[in-house]
Amino acid sequence: QEYEEIGFEIEQWPEYKAKSPLGQAPFLEVVENGQTFQLGQSLTIARYLARKFDLAGKSAEEQAKAEMYADQVFDLLNEMVKVHFEKDITRKIEAANKLFTESIPNSLKVFDNKIAKNGSGYLVASGLTWADLFLADFLDRLREKKDILLSNAPAVKSLYEKVLDHPKVSKWIAKRPKTEKYLYQKPQNFD
Amino acid sequence: MVTYKLYYFNMKGRGELIRLLFAASGQKYEDFRIEKNDWPEYKAKSPFGQAPYLEITNGKKTMILSQSVAIGRYLARKFGFAGKGDEEQAMVDMYGDQISDLLNEFAKFMMEQDETKKQEIFQKLQNEIMPFHMKFFEAKLAQSKTGFFFDSGLTWIDLYLFNLLGLLGDQRNQLFEHFKAVKNLYDKVSEHGKIKAYLETRPETAM
Repeated sequence: QEYEEIGFEIEQWPEYKAKSPLGQAPFLEVVENGQTFQLGQSLTIARYLARKFDLAGKSAEEQAKAEMYADQVFDLLNEMVKVHFEKDITRKIEAANKLFTESIPNSLKVFDNKIAKNGSGYLVASGLTWADLFLADFLDRLREKKDILLSNAPAVKSLYEKVLDHPKVSKWIAKRPKTEKYLYQKPQNFD
Repeated sequence: MVTYKLYYFNMKGRGELIRLLFAASGQKYEDFRIEKNDWPEYKAKSPFGQAPYLEITNGKKTMILSQSVAIGRYLARKFGFAGKGDEEQAMVDMYGDQISDLLNEFAKFMMEQDETKKQEIFQKLQNEIMPFHMKFFEAKLAQSKTGFFFDSGLTWIDLYLFNLLGLLGDQRNQLFEHFKAVKNLYDKVSEHGKIKAYLETRPETAM
């Protein structure tokens, strides 16, 4: 699906903030038959597009499973954000330890079991869903820590490689802008 | 025939959205409340070691779902509380995610052990975060013809916000002074036939 991406620098944010449905980014504008419809909240946008593009799972039950896995990844992302923004050094180290020695490995283990049991090599039995893309995206952000974490989750490692090798995904990754910020940054709400 | 068993603690917290959905739909389910001491046993059964989780049995097949809002959306779609059509469903979802953000901020406050930090978080919550989110909810609700978020009727996000407001206890009265449409929603959900009956019989818990 073709789309237009509008990326803006932080100085331009106030202008776009005024146009956004929730005062946050990302937001998606869909124009269909002359009607415009705006959506905020990254996961809402993902769920909406996943349903439209048949990447949501093949049944109500699979859809729910994909959403459960995605919510789990989102929790890990939020934990990572908390660590990133923690100013108190002691708390920061403690939180980072918890993230990398408990939270992430524990979730990866569960994902690993699910993928191994499915037979499809993906999180749900019928094949690729947005939850796989989200998990792969999250793993990307772990950078150098990724390898050691994935060494204990071989099925997740395979999934990660499968997603990156997907023809359309690999095409996007090759041409997308290289940005410095590899950590998920929660949009600024308060100016 | 499908049967449902909800596993959560004896509290409202993140499990109550699911209970409210069952109540609104009239669908019977087993409301299993885990004793704190028994948690390790149930933690082992839950997909990600967390509660709430929902066991759904259809004939010989059993599926276990966790993540309260994923469960919420699944049941909402099954029971007709998800919104009408893809676009409305996405809009419902958007407000739902916003409510989740607010709930997570509230949870951060509840879980903070350090007293100084806790006070700091409380101030930020009360002076910035709550008003910021409530303003958006108020704007949407004020436009409604039905008093619910969407004109098509009750959706899961009405129940979700209702629960969050319930968790605030008496603090919510302060909010209600500034956000009339939010107060109206709270009242409307409280008075909704099946919900009202459920509210009268559910266990009283602080959170």
